[in-house]
Amino acid sequence: MSPANTSGLVQGTLEMLILKTLALEPLHGYGVGVRLEQISKGALQINGGSLFPAFRRLERDGLIKGEWRASENNRRAKFYALTAKGRTRLARETRDWEAQTAAISRILRASLGEP
Amino acid sequence: MRRLLASILALFSGARAEQELDDELRAYLNLAADAHRQQGLSEDAALRQARLSLGSITSVKQAVRDVGWESRIDSLQRDVHFACRSLLRAPAFTTAAVLTLALGIGVNSTIFSLVNALLLRPLPVAAPDRLVSVSTRNAVEHGYLGGWPYSMWDQIRQQEDLFESAVAWTVLPQRLDLSQRGEQQPVDGLFVSGRFFQDLGVRIAAGRAFVPEEDVLGSARSHVAIVSDGFWRRRLGRADVVGTSLMVNRVPVTIIGVAPPDFLGPEVGRTFDVALPVGAAPAVLHSPDWGSFSGPSYLAVMLRLRPGGSSEAVAGALHARQRQLIERSLPPKTFWGPVQDGQLRDPFAVTPAWAGISELRRQYSGSLTLLAAIAAFVLVIACVNVASLLLARTTAQHHEFSVRLALGAPWQRIVQQHFVANLLLAAAGTAMGLGVALWCSRLLVAQLSTWSERVALDVSPDWRFVMFGVAGCVATALLFGTLPAIRAARMPAGEAGRLRSTTSAGRPLRLHKGLVVLQIALSVVLLVTATLLVRSFQELGRVPLGFQSDRVLIATVDGSRAGVGRDARALFWSRLADVVGAVPGVAQAAVSLNTPLNGGITAVSDFTARGGADVPASKRRAIVNVVTPGWFETYATPVRSGRTFDRRDTTGAPAVLIVNDAFARRFFPRGNALGSTIVNATLEGSGWAPPSTVVGIVGDSVSLSLRAEPFPMVYQPIAQFAVPLDIREFSITVRTRGDRPAQLAGAIGAALNAAHPDLSFSFHVLADQVEAARHHEKLVTSLASAFGAVALALALVGIYGVTAYALASRRTELGVRMALGARPRDVIGAVVRDTVVTLAPGVFAGILMAAAASGLLRSELFGIEPLDLVTFSLVPVALTTIALVACYVPARRAASIDPMLSLRCE
Repeated sequence: MSPANTSGLVQGTLEMLILKTLALEPLHGYGVGVRLEQISKGALQINGGSLFPAFRRLERDGLIKGEWRASENNRRAKFYALTAKGRTRLARETRDWEAQTAAISRILRASLGEP
Repeated sequence: MRRLLASILALFSGARAEQELDDELRAYLNLAADAHRQQGLSEDAALRQARLSLGSITSVKQAVRDVGWESRIDSLQRDVHFACRSLLRAPAFTTAAVLTLALGIGVNSTIFSLVNALLLRPLPVAAPDRLVSVSTRNAVEHGYLGGWPYSMWDQIRQQEDLFESAVAWTVLPQRLDLSQRGEQQPVDGLFVSGRFFQDLGVRIAAGRAFVPEEDVLGSARSHVAIVSDGFWRRRLGRADVVGTSLMVNRVPVTIIGVAPPDFLGPEVGRTFDVALPVGAAPAVLHSPDWGSFSGPSYLAVMLRLRPGGSSEAVAGALHARQRQLIERSLPPKTFWGPVQDGQLRDPFAVTPAWAGISELRRQYSGSLTLLAAIAAFVLVIACVNVASLLLARTTAQHHEFSVRLALGAPWQRIVQQHFVANLLLAAAGTAMGLGVALWCSRLLVAQLSTWSERVALDVSPDWRFVMFGVAGCVATALLFGTLPAIRAARMPAGEAGRLRSTTSAGRPLRLHKGLVVLQIALSVVLLVTATLLVRSFQELGRVPLGFQSDRVLIATVDGSRAGVGRDARALFWSRLADVVGAVPGVAQAAVSLNTPLNGGITAVSDFTARGGADVPASKRRAIVNVVTPGWFETYATPVRSGRTFDRRDTTGAPAVLIVNDAFARRFFPRGNALGSTIVNATLEGSGWAPPSTVVGIVGDSVSLSLRAEPFPMVYQPIAQFAVPLDIREFSITVRTRGDRPAQLAGAIGAALNAAHPDLSFSFHVLADQVEAARHHEKLVTSLASAFGAVALALALVGIYGVTAYALASRRTELGVRMALGARPRDVIGAVVRDTVVTLAPGVFAGILMAAAASGLLRSELFGIEPLDLVTFSLVPVALTTIALVACYVPARRAASIDPMLSLRCE
């Protein structure tokens, strides 16, 4: 596992976030970046370059599918959409993520000496 | 798999993918620049911003490419590093796993290298696939090595239109003697046809091969020899021997060459020290008749087909010519006539001979199959052990996996990492196992030889051995690794939160116990097999011999060069018996044609009885032995009725015979054998075997093998043995006064030398001869027992491991229980109950499997049934007892812990 990219997120997490974004509607690369910034209210500054390896990985695993279409301002761009498999994965990852973050926060609290 | 394919496709469609990536990145820049322009930035600034947010295009492209093919290799490399580190971090686990695997693989590769040497390895000759063996249908059906009289070989080799070349060699073991006088120095000899080495394509290492002119019966040029590489190293000290002289059967021959190291001979299992041209046989065997119609000869014949030729075509052509060939090679009416006649009329059989021909193959292929099956069981048990070790480890690493899964590592990656680690383990185990096998297989081959027969097999590693190792490695990795890997990968990520959860151990433990059940079942099968073989071996040792085998020494004496004519034969050998009988320490001595269980050739004849039962033709056969007076006393064979031979039974006296119980029962079921007349039907009318009176009936004794039912036997006094055969080798059996018969060999040898300077002889102890008759069984039984012991040890380690592990994970629970007043006895009781619950289904399943499989053993067993009650009750009881001990040790340790301590640990 290579742990990081420039956004400071662990790899798996970025992929999960992309899945989440695409769950709402198919988007092109730039659109995904913008949407992530919007959703996180600017907390996540996504380096555009880090998105593409993630797209490729997700595409390879059959979780998303790309398609060339015209964008809203009439530029050709590759739009990514979630596959059925991607939807299942997202549901599971969300669940696991919640369990994990809960656990991590418990550890953090425990290590801070709270009961 | 699909992903792998996709990666390969991606390699080819690389250019297109690259183009698409370029397009996609350009689209990104344009869209980003559009957005920035809309926010009011200038054209230049918008573009710069867009580039900034994308970062270096080259590195993005590289990162995307890495997701594809190259990253796989990279990740594999990382996995290997990772696996090495994690294995080295757990040295105890790694050592245990590697040793267990080495044991399993070692056992299997040892058996495989024997199977390889005996069945799979082609002869080390040129184009072995074009070699066919010409024997008889009867020989092929009954699995013995067919041979031809010299006259037939001579006919076959003249059919040159059918094949490229033809070779022949003496198929029966030829023990040659290198001594100058007195006691023999036996070596293995081989008489081969003139262009034997050239036609097979065996390149002589030093010197030259034989030429056809040297293969002319009785020719003076035929006194040449080629020695084997082994003999040259062992006996000749690797000296430059070409051109030097060697005494073979006291005939000087010139060494003209040394065979290459890999060529052990055309027969797999047998080897030769000295090879001579067939033409030298009459002189070297001191048998001027050899190869002529009236002399014995027995040659194996092998043909080399023309390129593209088929064995069927050759067989067809030979069949068409068989009648003609028989007529030309049919002997005139001689003693051997009927024997050779039957042999010649048996239809030709042409069989592929790329792996040579082999008597040993027939003898051992059944046992090897059995041993291979047992070895496979051992390997499965070893794998199960490693699997349970791994399961325990996986559970211990549970937390780590959960976190990694939760952090987004795809489960395939975790499985891949597991398989890399498992393959590393398997590879280490395989490497060790193969090393052990190389050593063990040589040891085993050395064990195959007996006093009468030297066995040589080429078990040096070849590509088949290596392939077997690789296949074994991958198979074991899959066998022991799949379950734990899947378990690790399927671990729900959410469980990471439950740190050090004590309850989550439940599931792997169930799996773990399932493995132990499997292991116990397999062990039961192996132990039943081993026990059946041991019991059958013991039964074989209890077979009544019909004679006393202790304190008996046998001298096999070759009188070829003593110049004894047929008429003087009886007197000469009787006198020798007297000479040996007079040696101090000798209680009794007698001469005979055969000795029991001597593994050599035994004379048989068909008999008819006057006034006896009408015995069907197929059951008239009896073994004939020719003896001097005193033979029955020497062997302490009980006399049932009548008398034994004495000095009155000479040439002129009435012809007499002694028969054994089995003969009397078969030919005279009404019990009137004594005093009746019997006729040797095989020799009837020849004048050499007149109708004879039965003057005594003796007890049955084993003759050919321990397994055979008592066979009808007929004893004839040597003085009345008149067949015109030039038999010059007899055995002198000596019953000694002392307990160490072998010690008398020196004195007896001296007496024989004094009696006639041209005798040559060899000694062996009768008890060894009897023991050698159980040799095959002994070997198979020892191996099966050793494998059974290994299986048992592995199963016990498995039970111990699972118990100890279960107890460790239940420490808190036990602590609570004991804090609440449970006594150590209760804890131990609970553990033992638990083990019995695991054990019972395993033992039960094992018994069922063993009962189903034991029928396959029937041919290997003697004196007991495959469903032997003793075995089937002994094994479960023994296994249960030992298993309880194995679980008691950790249970006691668990029961003796301080409850407070274990609670505080939590």
